[in-house]
Parts: sequence; structure tokens; C-alpha cells
Amino acid sequence: MPETQSLVSAATRIVRRNKRYVVWFYLMNLLFAWWGATAFAIHAHSMLDNSLYADRLVRGFDLAVLLEMLGRPEFGPMRASTVPAMVFAVVFFVASLLFMPGVLLGYASDHRIPGEEFYRACGRNLWRFVRLFLFFAIVAGVVVGILGAAEGALVEAADKTSYERLPFLTDVISLAIIGLLLTLGRIWFDIAQTDAVLRDQPAARKSLLSGFRLLRGNVGRLLGAYIVMAVVALFVLAAGVYLWHVMVPSSSVFGAFLVSQATVLLLLTTRFWQRAAAVSFYLRKLAEPSGESATAEAMAAPVS
Amino acid sequence: MSQRYRLISCLIGASLAVPALAQAQAGGATIPDTSSAINSWKPLSQRVVHYEIEARYDAKAHSLEATEVLTYHNLTGQPLDTFPFHLYLNAFQPTSTWLREGKREGTRGQDFKKWDPKSYGADEIKSFEVVGQGDLTSQLQFIHPDDDNKDDRTVVQAHLPQAIPPDGYVQFRIKFHDQFPKTLERTGWDREAILGGQWFPKVGVWWHNAWNCHQFHAYTEFFADFGVYDVKLTVPQDEVVGATGIEVSKAKNPDGTQTFTYHGEDIHDFAWTASPHYLDYYDTFQGSMGPVKVRIMMQPGHLGQLERHRMAVLETMRRFDEWYGPYPYKNLTVVDPEPGSQSFGMEYPTFITAGTTWWMPNGLYSPEQVVEHEFGHQYWYGMVATNEFEDAWMDEGINQYTEVKVMDSLFGPYTSFLNLWGITAGEREGNRLFLVPVADLDAMAQNGWQYADANSYGGVTYGKTADILLTLESLIGEDTMRRAMHTYFMRYRFTHPTKEDFLKTVEEVSGKDLRWYFNQAVYGTQVLDFEVLKISSVPVDWYKESLKEEKGKTEYISNVWIHRKENFILPVDIEIKFDNGEKLREHWDGQDRWIRYAYQKKAKVESVEIDPDHTLHFDRNNFNNSRRGEPNGKAARKLADYWIFCSQLLAQALAWWLV
Repeated sequence: MPETQSLVSAATRIVRRNKRYVVWFYLMNLLFAWWGATAFAIHAHSMLDNSLYADRLVRGFDLAVLLEMLGRPEFGPMRASTVPAMVFAVVFFVASLLFMPGVLLGYASDHRIPGEEFYRACGRNLWRFVRLFLFFAIVAGVVVGILGAAEGALVEAADKTSYERLPFLTDVISLAIIGLLLTLGRIWFDIAQTDAVLRDQPAARKSLLSGFRLLRGNVGRLLGAYIVMAVVALFVLAAGVYLWHVMVPSSSVFGAFLVSQATVLLLLTTRFWQRAAAVSFYLRKLAEPSGESATAEAMAAPVS
Repeated sequence: MSQRYRLISCLIGASLAVPALAQAQAGGATIPDTSSAINSWKPLSQRVVHYEIEARYDAKAHSLEATEVLTYHNLTGQPLDTFPFHLYLNAFQPTSTWLREGKREGTRGQDFKKWDPKSYGADEIKSFEVVGQGDLTSQLQFIHPDDDNKDDRTVVQAHLPQAIPPDGYVQFRIKFHDQFPKTLERTGWDREAILGGQWFPKVGVWWHNAWNCHQFHAYTEFFADFGVYDVKLTVPQDEVVGATGIEVSKAKNPDGTQTFTYHGEDIHDFAWTASPHYLDYYDTFQGSMGPVKVRIMMQPGHLGQLERHRMAVLETMRRFDEWYGPYPYKNLTVVDPEPGSQSFGMEYPTFITAGTTWWMPNGLYSPEQVVEHEFGHQYWYGMVATNEFEDAWMDEGINQYTEVKVMDSLFGPYTSFLNLWGITAGEREGNRLFLVPVADLDAMAQNGWQYADANSYGGVTYGKTADILLTLESLIGEDTMRRAMHTYFMRYRFTHPTKEDFLKTVEEVSGKDLRWYFNQAVYGTQVLDFEVLKISSVPVDWYKESLKEEKGKTEYISNVWIHRKENFILPVDIEIKFDNGEKLREHWDGQDRWIRYAYQKKAKVESVEIDPDHTLHFDRNNFNNSRRGEPNGKAARKLADYWIFCSQLLAQALAWWLV
């Protein structure tokens, strides 16, 4: 537990020292989402701006008005609004994949790294990260596929009992287990990515091996830190939505925007917090005397 | 004795002789004229049938063995030698009309791809005897009056060797075996629970000089004669049982079973339920005809919602009693069915099923809505027993209208369905949304099985009828509409009224000729869509170079164009608001396709609104019913912000797990 605490504290210091990354990623997230929402906004403006009926969306939130708007032929098909949002979500993912090596490098450094170094790290590690992503997608796909099928069977069996909540509880517990396993996988790949960047390791399999070895000996510590941060993220989301509901008048568009964006920013911060934890953990392992583990030997290469 | 007296004697003799002959045929049976299940000293309906059923339910096999003695009183005024019967559990087989329609339409409960034959339903007649005429089992024939589906076995017909004379009685002794289906819709078993609806051979209705006995359809299933029901039901001892009518007795049997005896009067159907899990709660409603014992059978996991169910049923009963007329039965059973069962939201005389889930939040009034709706059917189906097959709007639609009235009065007009976390939705808007996509497909006055599809049936039968009646309310006044509904109920309860009976009652009570409205709304497929086509405000001195527009000083010529886009013709009010705060009301008869209003004022038009009191409930597009002089993007910005927030969360979730 103390080790987890120290990891969380160290990660907090790293994130605080490198706030700019969170801000830049947040702005990127906002920009892409804004682009993704353009089609929706255009359609909404064309339907609502001239109509008094739209006031029922401003004074409160009348679901019937929203549904009627979405159902009108002149609003266009829903996919005209959802597809751009999804496309830009993918673009954000790709951008995150592209820029994350620079962030990891920055997190490992005790000084502000120059932009040139940041982008060089991004460029050098792009394909490594793509390969690691593909590995992770396969591993996660297998885990989710197998456990998802088991979950489906369990829920179906639970549905045959007269205890109505059992299918729901089965679902929640199953999803928690899947989430936990995926988090383990995420930690593994986070460390592997850190290894790829900090050791300038071109072979993804070596980074994966290194990540796996480090994780194997420190599961409790790492998982504890990641779970703490994930719980904080859930709390942030719940608190944000709650504050939005109780504090922001329904007619205050700007107020809703502020609260929603603060929520998104804090949510993003928690993920960077996890990243920082992985880097901090990796650096500590690097600093430990060599020979303690095979992993340490594998880390003999200099940090770029 | 004079010739005149001889004639009278002959007539009296003949009138006595016919029933005597019939009673002889029926073994001297008559229909009971008891009144133990109703708050009335005399029968309330013309009792045509008396069902005496003894049934033994096998909970493990979900099957039932029963004997039925049906006494039928021939009040048709002519001899009858054929009798059709419903065998509706036979619908739960792959080749039935119900399933074919359901598969075609994708209706509730029929969206499965595989169907285990163990889950089929069946209603098999083991023997069919007509008292005094012998066993006719081998002569029974399945008929299919509504379609060409020869595989449908939901209606069977018996041809009697001897006709039953007018006012005569006939008695049928039927042994039958039921195999209940796993509940796909309406009736059947789920886990350890059973909801027994449409479970016994039921005779059709002689209506408009012909038998009216439709097949079991995807959307419609009810039409039967009033009478008396005496049912003995034997089930395992661990079952909690509820049923139509009053419980007369309950006895434990040595074989581990128990037998319940139920008695119902002036009803036209009988349903029951059994499950080891029900928890019983009782209350009393003091109705204007006497006390009504209300029994609520809850699922253990839903006890936290007992008060919601209790409030919904008692408050609905109170409003119906005040607004439309008394509930005359001595009891009402509200069943909270097995979780996830498709037998939720069903109506049977004095017996309804609700529907909820353990997680139902307080601001989502779905349980209240279902309870209200199904209780409403005690009036619009139960007592005013319209032909659901041919006039479904008079059953579901009128009930939907009264649902809006009750739910609005309980929870407020714009929050009567949802009022949760700042998100709201009203019942009447819901009905309109139901209607909008199918507004031009079908008329309300149409056979239930001949609608274009499930959406059209639902949108028109439920949504359109409610909207049409809500709009009618604005045409004749809310009080007048309520009086019309009251008159309709009191006049036609315990009968089988037609659509014209209803429409003429509204015209009579309102003192207005409403044919122009009914022809479009009930018999037609006309669509209503008004639009503010455009507005303009041009300075009178537009040509002067020195013109400098000043609010309150510059004079404008303003024009407002109102357009009737579709073919439903209806008068409408229009409100024009000027930027000096002045408001004007215009009344347009809506006869032409468009109308233009012109004004000369020291003010510009700020906004125009068609139907400013929001009394038209079936306009296809509410967005074009108003127009601002200057656009206001606040609503769109708000929605766009929400959209951005959701997109950001989606993007972050993707990046969270994959990067």
C-alpha cells in the first residue's frame, strides 16, 4: 500500500510538472469533437434557430422536442451526425498514438524537453506504438471475446432465476472482472510503450517482454495505483454530471459548457496520471541496482 | 273468449314455449342473475353467456386439463345452428396468423429467430358435446375468417344438428387441454409464474346479424359477450393465485394442491395468474357505487414500488369515477408480473397486469403509466366492450386519450411521462411522436389486422386517436368533452357500441356538427401541417435615402404568410408578436392553402406562432408552427455543446483503452 501511495504521489508530481501536455491533448480533444459536431450543429441550427418551439430545449430539456428534431427528415439521417463524431474520435485516438511518445519522454525528464526532442520521440516511436497497439488489440480482443462470451452465458443463466437483479449483478461483476483484466493489459502495454520510448527499443516484442516482466513482479502495486486513478476518474465524471445538473441553470449554455469541459479536462488528466505512474514506476526500476532482476539487465540501454 | 284474447293467448303461449324448448335442450339451464361480484342489486349487462370451468394446472408442465360448461342464451332474434369458438392458445405455433403477422411486422415478443417447440402453446379440445344433441367433437372445423391461412387454428366452428331457437339456451360441455406457451406476448409462463389469458374455448359474438369471431391477431384479440363466470382452479399449494372476479372459496386438497373458486358477473373474459413469489397488498377504493377491494400482487424485488402502484391505481380509479362514471365491480386485482415477462401491461375484466423493473427511477412514470392504462381498459374494453378487432381505436385509442388526461393531472402536462435529472417528456408529445412517422398511412376506422404495419397500427390506433380527441377537446371545450365521455360511458357500458355510437354521442352532447372533423380525422388519412411560411417587415419609407431605422419610431409594413402544407383542413389561431411588445391574434378558417396578414405599425414583427395555445395535437411538424423575426441559436448551441461533450467522452474512452 505505501508503495502504491508513493507511486500515486510521484505520478501526481509528474503530471503537475507537465500540465501543458494535458492542456494540449484537451484542446486537441475539444477541437476534434467540435469538428465532429459541426454537422450536428448545422442541422440543429437550421431547425431550431427560427422556431419558438425550440425554447423548450432552452428552458429545461424537453426530450420530446429533441426526439422530434432528430426524427425530422430535414434534420437528415442520424448517421450524418454520428459518423463525423466517430471519425473524429478515431482521429483523436490516432493523434494520441502519435504524440504519446513525446509525452512519455517529457514525463521521464526532470526538465522541460524542447519541442524538437518531443517531436523526434514521436516520429521515432510511431510505428513501434502502432505495433504495440496491434498487439494490445489482439490481446484485448481475445480477452474480451472469451470473457464476453462467458459473461453472456452467465447472464443468460442468471436470467432464468427469479432473482431479478441477478442478471444485472452478474453483468456488473463480469464487466468489473473484464475491466480489471483489461486494466492489467493496459498497464503491461503502458510499461511496454514507456520501455520503447525511454530505451529507444525498436523491437516491440522486447518492450512487451520487458513490460510483462516488470508487471509480473509488481501487479499489486501497479494495479492499485491504476485502480485508484480510475476510481478518481469515475468520481470526476459523476461529480461533473451532478454539478452540471444541480448548479447550472438549464438556460445557461455557457455554464453547461464550462462544467462539461472542466469534467472532460479532469477526466483526461486521470489518464495522464496513469501514464505518469507507469513512467515513474519504470524509472524507479531503472534506478534499482542491476542484477536484481532480469528486467533490469534488459534496461541497460541509455534513456534518450 | 274473443278472437282478440285468443290471439294474445297464442302469443303468450308461443313466447313461453320457445324458451321452454330451448331450456329443455340445454337441460333446463339459465344464466344466473346474481349480483354478488358487483356493487349493484341487479345485473348490469345483458348476460349472454355463463361459463363454468373446472381446471387443474400442472405447474411443471405448464399445462392444464379442464372441463367447461358454457350456457349460451340466444338473444339474436333468430335460430342459430353454428357456433364459432376462440382457441387462442393455438396462436402460439409457428404457422399461426398471429405469428405470421408478428414476424412480418416484428411486433413485441416475436423478434426471436429460433423457437423451441417446448415453448409452443396449444388449446386442444378433447371432447365437445352439445347437451341434448350429442358429441360433436369429430365435426368441429377450424375456420379462418380473416385471412387465407389454413394453418391457423385459432377459431373453431361447430355446426349443430338442431338450431337453437330465438331466446333459447344451449349448453356446451367441452373438455380441453391447454399447453401454455413460454410468454412471447400476452399469455403464458415465465420461470415459475403463469399468466393465464385466452386460455379456454370462448364463443364468438353475434353482432350485426353475423358471427363475429376473429382469428388471434398480432395486435388485436378482444371481443366477447357479457355474462357470468364461475371458475374452479386447482394449482399447487405453494402458488399465490389471482384472477378475474371475486374469490368465493379456497380449499387445500390432500394431493398437495389447492382449489380456488372465482365468480364474476357482467364480464366478458376471465384471466388468472399464479406464482410462488407474489406478495399481496390490499386497499379499498370508495367508489360512487360502493367499495372496491384493490389487491396488488407485487414481486418481492419491487416492493419499494408498491406505493407507486397503489397511488397510480387509486388515483386513476378516483378520476375515472369522477369524470366518466362508476366502477361497479367489487374488486380489482393489479398484478406485477414476473420480471421480464411479456405478459406485462395486459387487461382483463377486474384484473390487470402492470410492468416495472427493480431499477425504475422515481421520475420515470412508466409503472404508473402502465397501471393507469390497464385500469382505463376496465372502462374502454371491460365495460364499454367495443370490437377491438374492427375498431381498435375505440379500445386502445380512447383509453390512450384518458391516459393522457389522468397522467397529466397526476404529474403535469409536460412532465407526465418523464421528469428526471432535468429531462422532461409529456404523454401528449409522446403520442404525437408515435403518430408523426405514420400519419398518412392508415385511417383510425380500420380493421386491426389490416394496418400497413406495426408502427402504423400503434401510431394511429394509440397516438392518433389520443391526439385527435385532445384536439377535439379544444374544439368543443374540455368540460363538454368530459360530459361527452361520461355520456358515452354511461350509455354504452355493458354493450358493444360502434364508432358511430361514439361520434354521434360527442356531436349530441356538444350540440355541434363535427362531421367535417370526424371525416378527416377518423375516417380519413389527412395529415395536418401548418407552417409560418415567411415574415417580413419593410420600412414604409424604405425609398428615402435619409431613412434611419429607429425602434418605436420607424413605421413598417409587415407581412405574415401562413401555409397549410398538408390536406387536413382545420381552423386555427395565429399570434403575431411585435417588437414593441404588442400581440395580435388572428383566426384563420384554414380553408385555403395559404393566407397573408399585413400590418402597418411602428414596430417589426418579432415572432409569429400558429396555435399559440397549443391545442392542435397532431400537427406533423411543430418546428415550423412558429417563426422568429431574428434567429436565436441558443437551443442549437446547447445541443451542440452536449454533442461535443459526448464526442469528447467517446474519443477519450477510445484513447483511454487503446493508446
